[in-house]
Amino acid sequence: MSDADLAAMPGEQVVESEAPPPSIPGPGLAEPPSQSPETSELQGRDTPASAVAPMRVVGQPVAHHDFIEKVKGSIFYAADWELPGMLYGRVVRATVSSARIVSIDTEKARALRGVATVLTGEDVPSNRLVEKPSGAPGELLVAMPVLATDRVRYAGEPIALVAAETQRLADDAAELVRVEYEELPGVFDPEVALLPGAPLVHDDGNVLASWHIQRGDAQAALAAADVVVEGEYRTQHVEHASLETESGVGWIENDVVTLRVATQIIEHATDIAEMLKLPANKVRLIAAYMGGSFGSKEGMTVEPYLALLVWKTRRPVRMVWSRQESILASTKGHPFIMRYRTGATNDGRIVAQDVDLIGDAGAYPNKSARVLFYGAALSCGPYFTPNVSVRSRAVFTNNVPTSAFRGFGARQVTLGYESQMDRLADALAIDKADVRRRNFLRKGDVIPTGETLDTAVAVGETLERALARLGDPSVPSGPSKRVGRGFACNMHPYGRTVWLQDCASAWLSIQADGTLLIRSGVSDVGGGQAASLCQIASEILGVSLERISVYIGDTALTPPAGGTFATRQLLMSGNAVMRAALQLRQLVAPVAAEALGCPVARTVFEDGRVKAAGKSASTTAPEEGISLGELVRLCEARSVDPTTLYVFHPDAKRRGFDTEPSQWVSFPDYTYGTHAAEVEVDLETGEVAVLKYASCHDVGRAINPLRVEGQMQGGAMQGLGYALMEEIILDEGKIASSLLADYLVPTSDDMPDVMTDIVESGEGKGPMNARGIGEAVIGNAAPTIANAVADAIGFRPTQLPITPERVLALLDAADGTSASG
Amino acid sequence: MSVQQVTLQVNGVAHEILVAPDALLLDVLHDQLGMGDVRYGCGEGVCGTCTVLLDGEAVSGCLVYAVQVDFREITTLTGLLRGNESLHPLQEAFLRLGATQCGFCTPGVILTAYSLAQRMPRPTREEIRYELGGSLCRCTGYTKIVEAVESYLDDRAFASEETRR
Amino acid sequence: MTAMFESAVDKAMPMPSAPGALEDAHARMVLDDWERRWYGEPRFKYELVRSYEEAVFALREHGEGAKALAGGQSLVPLMNLRVLRPSALIDLNGIAAIAPQVEGGRLSLSAMTRYSQVLLSELARCRTPLLTTAIAYVGNVRVRNRGTIGGALAHGQATSELAAVVLALGGEILAYGPTGTRLIHAEEFFVGHLKTDLRPEEVVTGLRLEVAQSRQGWSFRELARRSGAEAIAGVAANVTLSPERDVISGVRLGLIGVDDRPVAGDRTVLSSLLGRIPTPAEIDEVAAEVTARTAPVTDWQSSASYRRRLVRVLTRRALTEALQRAEERASAE
Repeated sequence: MSDADLAAMPGEQVVESEAPPPSIPGPGLAEPPSQSPETSELQGRDTPASAVAPMRVVGQPVAHHDFIEKVKGSIFYAADWELPGMLYGRVVRATVSSARIVSIDTEKARALRGVATVLTGEDVPSNRLVEKPSGAPGELLVAMPVLATDRVRYAGEPIALVAAETQRLADDAAELVRVEYEELPGVFDPEVALLPGAPLVHDDGNVLASWHIQRGDAQAALAAADVVVEGEYRTQHVEHASLETESGVGWIENDVVTLRVATQIIEHATDIAEMLKLPANKVRLIAAYMGGSFGSKEGMTVEPYLALLVWKTRRPVRMVWSRQESILASTKGHPFIMRYRTGATNDGRIVAQDVDLIGDAGAYPNKSARVLFYGAALSCGPYFTPNVSVRSRAVFTNNVPTSAFRGFGARQVTLGYESQMDRLADALAIDKADVRRRNFLRKGDVIPTGETLDTAVAVGETLERALARLGDPSVPSGPSKRVGRGFACNMHPYGRTVWLQDCASAWLSIQADGTLLIRSGVSDVGGGQAASLCQIASEILGVSLERISVYIGDTALTPPAGGTFATRQLLMSGNAVMRAALQLRQLVAPVAAEALGCPVARTVFEDGRVKAAGKSASTTAPEEGISLGELVRLCEARSVDPTTLYVFHPDAKRRGFDTEPSQWVSFPDYTYGTHAAEVEVDLETGEVAVLKYASCHDVGRAINPLRVEGQMQGGAMQGLGYALMEEIILDEGKIASSLLADYLVPTSDDMPDVMTDIVESGEGKGPMNARGIGEAVIGNAAPTIANAVADAIGFRPTQLPITPERVLALLDAADGTSASG
Repeated sequence: MSVQQVTLQVNGVAHEILVAPDALLLDVLHDQLGMGDVRYGCGEGVCGTCTVLLDGEAVSGCLVYAVQVDFREITTLTGLLRGNESLHPLQEAFLRLGATQCGFCTPGVILTAYSLAQRMPRPTREEIRYELGGSLCRCTGYTKIVEAVESYLDDRAFASEETRR
Repeated sequence: MTAMFESAVDKAMPMPSAPGALEDAHARMVLDDWERRWYGEPRFKYELVRSYEEAVFALREHGEGAKALAGGQSLVPLMNLRVLRPSALIDLNGIAAIAPQVEGGRLSLSAMTRYSQVLLSELARCRTPLLTTAIAYVGNVRVRNRGTIGGALAHGQATSELAAVVLALGGEILAYGPTGTRLIHAEEFFVGHLKTDLRPEEVVTGLRLEVAQSRQGWSFRELARRSGAEAIAGVAANVTLSPERDVISGVRLGLIGVDDRPVAGDRTVLSSLLGRIPTPAEIDEVAAEVTARTAPVTDWQSSASYRRRLVRVLTRRALTEALQRAEERASAE
């Protein structure tokens, strides 16, 4: 991560913001780009809110680039790499959740023939990883050891490393490492961890970070409100369960420690260098195309261990976490405890929200402080809330550490605010959709963090469409079944918090034969991060997709783009590529114009050629213009290099974000959406069957509708798993089962089709007015199902997952019958 | 003996190799024979990532030892490509309809769908979903996968109608 | 609460079975010079057998650490996780399965018959529809392609759908061992947690199930949290109507998820249904009684009390549906 990755302190110099880029017209330029791309032609163009101008490549459901390799099975993932003399690595992990390490005996492991090395914390030059501060007031700065030496804080914490000639041998050696523990009292419930006298996970206290958002006077407004509805909601630890486990191969090449791993963030190379006490130029990190991630590969996973083993043995090393190891020890999605008090007028207008959030951070910080900020910032949802009081705390426990998981805090609070909206509707006997319509945010409104929304808010349209998709109500399939319907609206940020001064760069080059190379530090988690860049460049430069190659994710060879997380890549790298392409076009267009004998403004880049638009007697050039290859030759003759490096800085409203009331601009923009579902509940078994499911989001402009739908359907499915069946169950910090057989993710046989609708408001801060979609699509599912179940049985689930047993418990509580018998 | 010779017929090619008796077919295909389209997902037979066809039937490569399949016909995703075709129609359907995102589950899913299509002329949507129930996907939400399989089946039915006329 | 969770941490990183075992295993390492591949002493001796006689002989020869490998869908995952470390694997897949056949009112399945072969068998679908219905719930297509009848029975999982059917259809398990062939009745077969009546060195060779009679109805109901996941509980029911008076003359239940092993519905309780056509309320009473005679446990998935309620509901529904089917078949005569 760059130096810019520091929270702004109040009182910093005001930086004027850039205007967001308006839409790009068709393939040619109707007017001369007399200034740089990011000012003249892009400024001030009005775009209709509900229509986006059609383009040739962008907006088409094309299937290209890595997707071709994926259906062929020919992509090399991180584990699909072998080098001569390669060793196999294995991490030795703690089997207790809170203990002092008395001794680590590696003698038997080392003695095993075929074992190349066994490492412990003593072998790590700088055995501490520290997260960059999130900016929360009073945030604890806690170091996480790469390999624990004196203290274990969670079951699964790494203690030693083995490298051996075969994986089997490495696993054998790992078993032979003997660790002696002196168990210590641990704390496993964040609410217990908050009590005075609770065991301390870290010496400085159990509260990692605490955020407060205050606007107006929530307490007074609640006291004066016509109605106040309250609710307490609990979510669970969730596991990403990407099909590809954490994996990678490391080697030393030209004295550089080189790691090719499944990672969302190649900028971790500097953390590796620091760990090894090497200069930064001695570490290279390459991001392989990932087999899914959803946040699990955002922090470092195999990287430090590979780096240590490689650096120590001087041989290539492969490490692939077993599935069970991944379930046991990889970071999880935060369980949240959410307490809401929502005040409204008699006609359903919200006057105040008082929210308290507690997130279980587990044993180490990772991204927990930031996740709890996202939760706080989004806790009121897409509704105008004049008075707000939000407290949000990330609390340490001796549970498995939690970190980034698709949705990142904003996912969890959706259950909170959407349950509250339904409660409000019930309390006031107002239609559930109406109560939301009366409160939806509008462009120009100020949201709880104090910023003004400056793009279209089309959440209302997504609501209408999602509801319409459900069609006629289904009839219950039996006497003990009930059918219910529910929906949930959400608001989700895309792009990183603005005070982090995010930026991304891209390098475009037209080759001698007119083919195009895109180099970007972006990493690809499977959502078309790389492919979308090709579509954008193709649109602007008129090069067909087959004649574009994209190279990604290599600290040595690609310009930095920041990692793929926070739904930032389309906004950041999409914009970087778009502007690089525009700049490149602007660079070479005069040469083409000269050759074509027409004004620069009439040059049109399409089908791999540059033509003169329209007819003109003065044009001497052939109608079909010149090929890009010819253009490159002409450029060379004029010493014009057909290559551009562009560094994109978005809106830099870095005006001193005040972290105490968490006021001023937080995120660049938001994506809005609604999901709706019909469920059938079996009153005797508690089973919930999803009969119909619909998802609708406003994506500004869909760069590739096929991929946008894919994100919506995949996010909904992951959300349905989170709503109904997924749960990592911990007891005293130990996981009940680390088998994939027991971590229930939905299969094709469990759920219906996810019907999708895309709204294109035409206003987004991504390239061509796109909005980020990757994370916005998951949060709605849980409240959609909870609301549907409540509609079916008359009682509201407030705890996830909504298991059959919990449904029966709700029915029992209503009856007054006990759970037994 | 610490190693044994086996002949694995993979995608029509016979590979005579030495394997340890405790070597899983998955590891032999991926590591020893360099076949990247057969991947590790869980080692429990649950996720379907390591699916290969054994004499045309879908099996988990992580639950079969290589020594068990001496001389048996093994088909991986690459084996669906015949001769000069660049993509099998089923692969084309997946590509065209966006049924692959991260791609990790794709070989297992396509092989399983292929095996179903070989057994039944026109399975229903429910039958497709049931057959694919053991192929976990965390990215697509399955809708486009089912659509791609149906599209393939419809095209196949149409093509055979055409040839009949 | 802590005691009930066998630490899955230990499962993920288990300790070796005997001190020194691993070190001994690596006393001999071979580097294949041609392929530059390291081969250690294999974890187990592997032997492919082509008959049950060979299998039994091999099991005896290799001693206590030997395990028979059939479909491998239960055994190999445990080996991959290092929870089970047999010293020898006796591969039964060299033994050909015999096609299902019906004789003497029973469907005969050889032990090496795959689940998928049962599903494809017209004979099985017609004559033992309860079996083919229940098998559709087993695992996933790959498990069904490799998993065998004999292997599933020998594994003895408390939630095995096959076991429920075997109990409901008066199953007879055929076993072969050093002392010869033996026939074990279903109700005596499942004796404990992953424990059957099979003696060491005995293998299952076949299964015989009563075929559906004209005046019989069946039903299978289970609840799992997700397709292919282990059942929380399940019931297989078979109801027979008498030829003269159209009243219940026989009823059997197989229950899974109700104990540490698959169990038959209590005979005494079920006998109260004989000689009459029960009302829905009476069926529910019987279901409650049957449930009361089981011992479901609380685990991390479900509480015992929820399981109890579920079993009662499933039993009631299964009995109702089986009776209905029996009545339909009887009236169609």
